[in-house]
Amino acid sequence: MTMNTQTISGVFAGEVTGIDITRPLPDETIAAIEAGMDRHAVLVFHDQPLTDDTQRAFSRQFGELESAAGGHVTAVRDRRLPLDMQDASNLDQNQNVLTRDDRRRFFNLGNRLWHSDSSFRAVPAKYSLLSGRIVAEQGGNTEFADMRAAYDALDAATKAEIDGLVCEHSLMFSRGLLGFTELTEAEIAMFRPVCQPLVRVHPVTGRKSLFLSAHGGTIIGWPVPEARAFLRDLTEQATQRRFVYSHRWRQHDLVMWDNRQTMHRVTRFDESQPRDMRRTTIAGTATA
Amino acid sequence: MTLSIHSLHPVFAAEIGGVDLTQPLDAATAAAIESAIATHGVLVFRDQRITDEQQLAFSRLFGDLEETRGTGISKPGEQRLHPAFADVSNLDKDNTVLARDNRRRLYSLGNMLWHSDSSFKAIPASYSLLSGRVVVAQGGETEFADMRAAYDALDARTRDEIEDLICEHSLIYSREALGFGDLTPEEKATMRPVRQVLTRTHPVSRRKSIYLASHIGTIIGWPMPEARAFIRDLTEHATQRCFVYTHQWRPFDLVMWDNRCTMHRARRYDPTQVRDMRRTTVAGTAMTAAQEDRAAA
Repeated sequence: MTMNTQTISGVFAGEVTGIDITRPLPDETIAAIEAGMDRHAVLVFHDQPLTDDTQRAFSRQFGELESAAGGHVTAVRDRRLPLDMQDASNLDQNQNVLTRDDRRRFFNLGNRLWHSDSSFRAVPAKYSLLSGRIVAEQGGNTEFADMRAAYDALDAATKAEIDGLVCEHSLMFSRGLLGFTELTEAEIAMFRPVCQPLVRVHPVTGRKSLFLSAHGGTIIGWPVPEARAFLRDLTEQATQRRFVYSHRWRQHDLVMWDNRQTMHRVTRFDESQPRDMRRTTIAGTATA
Repeated sequence: MTLSIHSLHPVFAAEIGGVDLTQPLDAATAAAIESAIATHGVLVFRDQRITDEQQLAFSRLFGDLEETRGTGISKPGEQRLHPAFADVSNLDKDNTVLARDNRRRLYSLGNMLWHSDSSFKAIPASYSLLSGRVVVAQGGETEFADMRAAYDALDARTRDEIEDLICEHSLIYSREALGFGDLTPEEKATMRPVRQVLTRTHPVSRRKSIYLASHIGTIIGWPMPEARAFIRDLTEHATQRCFVYTHQWRPFDLVMWDNRCTMHRARRYDPTQVRDMRRTTVAGTAMTAAQEDRAAA
C-alpha cells in the first residue's frame, strides 16, 4: 500500500489515500503526512474507522495532545469524553441529543462562526484532527478557508497596515457575537483574553497568513468598534468562496487541519439527529 | 421631461438621466421615478448639485420625512443639519472631522454593517436619499444588496422556514456587534426592540424579499444564539457578490434606495478625510408585524 496525496479538485485541501491510520505508522509516513499538511493545510482521510484510542495514537505522532480544559462551559464532571478529546458532537454525557435550550448547545453554536482552534489560548493549537463517527445526513459540513491565500490576495496597503497589529482573542468575544453572554465569574476568569498577532508566519514553510478567528474581539491600541469593523472586513475578504473548501462528511472520515494557516466552521444541520464528531488537538509549541 | 433608465447591475440598480432634481418636478415625473425604484430598488442620479432645501423638496414628493431625533446618540443642539437629515458625514457641528475615538464616530461605524434604514422603528422607512456633497477619493463606497433576488435564490425549504418568522430589531444589537456597549439608560430606552417580519412583500411590485439588517438581535420564539447563527447565514447568502451593487461616489451623486427590498452598508475610508453625505429618509406607512403589547409584557 503506497500513500498518495492528491489535491482536491479546485481547492487547496488534499486527500490522502493508500494508508490505514488506525494502525501504527512508520516515521517516514508521518513525515510525509506532515509535509502534506505544510503544503495543503487540510488533509482528508476517508474510511478510517477510528476508536478513541487509535485516534489518540495517530494524533500523538504529530505532537502533544492539547487538553480541552478551559475551552468550554461544560463542567469536567459532565463531559462525555476525556479531557484529551474535544467533543464536537451534539450529545450529552448520556449520549442524548442536547435540547434546543441547553446552555452547552448555545456554546457549541459558536462553531458556526469562522475560527481557528484555540486561538483563545496563549499558545494556540497546531493541528486539529476530527473524526466523523456519526455524521449528519444533511448539512453539518466543515468549511475551511485558506488564510495564506487570503493574505497573499490583500493589497499592499492593507498588508502594510496589518503588519505588527496584535489582536485580543477570547471565547467571550465569539460567544458574545451570538448573544451568549450569561457566563459565570469562573467562566469569565477562564476566558480571559490573550494576545495574538494578526499576521503570522508558518514555522516550516515561512509563508505568511492572516490569523483571524471569531474569538478576535479587538486590536490593541484601536477603538473597539473600529477594530471589530476592520476584523469583519478582513474575515469577509478571507472567507470568499475561492479560498474555501467545504467538506461533506462521510462516516469514518478523518479530517486534519493546520490551525496556523486556516480557519474553519461548521454549517447548519438538523440538530434533532445525533452527530458524533470527536476531535483531538495537537498543542502548539510556541506563541504565535 | 423624459427619464432615461440605464441598468447598473444584472439583478437591480439603475442610473436615471434626463431629470434635474434641483427643480420642482411634476407629478408624472415623480410617479415615473417611483415606478422605476419599484423595479430597480436603487436609483442613481448623477451631477445633482442639490441644496438641503432642494433635497427636502424632492424627498417629500415620496411621502413624509422621518426625523432623526431620538434615533441615535446625538443630543439636541449637537446636530449639524436640519432634523429631517441623517448626518452620514464624519463632521461635527463646526464641520471639523471627528477624532478617531469620538463617540459619535464609533457609533456611526455601525453603518459598515449590512442594514436597512430604520428597521429598528415599528414603522420602518420606505426610501432613503443620500446626497454626496463631499466624497472621499478612496473607499467610502456604498454597497447595496438586492433582498428580492436573495429571496428568490433561497431553496424551497428555507423559504418555508422563514415564511412566518418575526425578528426583533434594535440599534442596541447592531452597536453591540461592534462592541459599542456603553449606551446610557436613556439611549437604551429609545432603542427598545421592535418586531419585523423576516419575509416581506413589497407593496408595489408584490415581490417577496428577506427583511434582514444587522439591527436584528433574535427571532421570536427562538433561543438567541440559534437565531443569531441563522440570521448570519441568511445575511451571508443575501450579500453574495451576485446580489451586490457597489456605488463609487462622485461629487453630487444622489442615490435613492428602497429599504423595503434592499440592504446597504458603507465601506471603509480614510477617516482623516472629509466625507459629507446627507440623507433624507421617507417614512413608511405601515408596520410589518404586530408589536409586543408593552403594557401586558
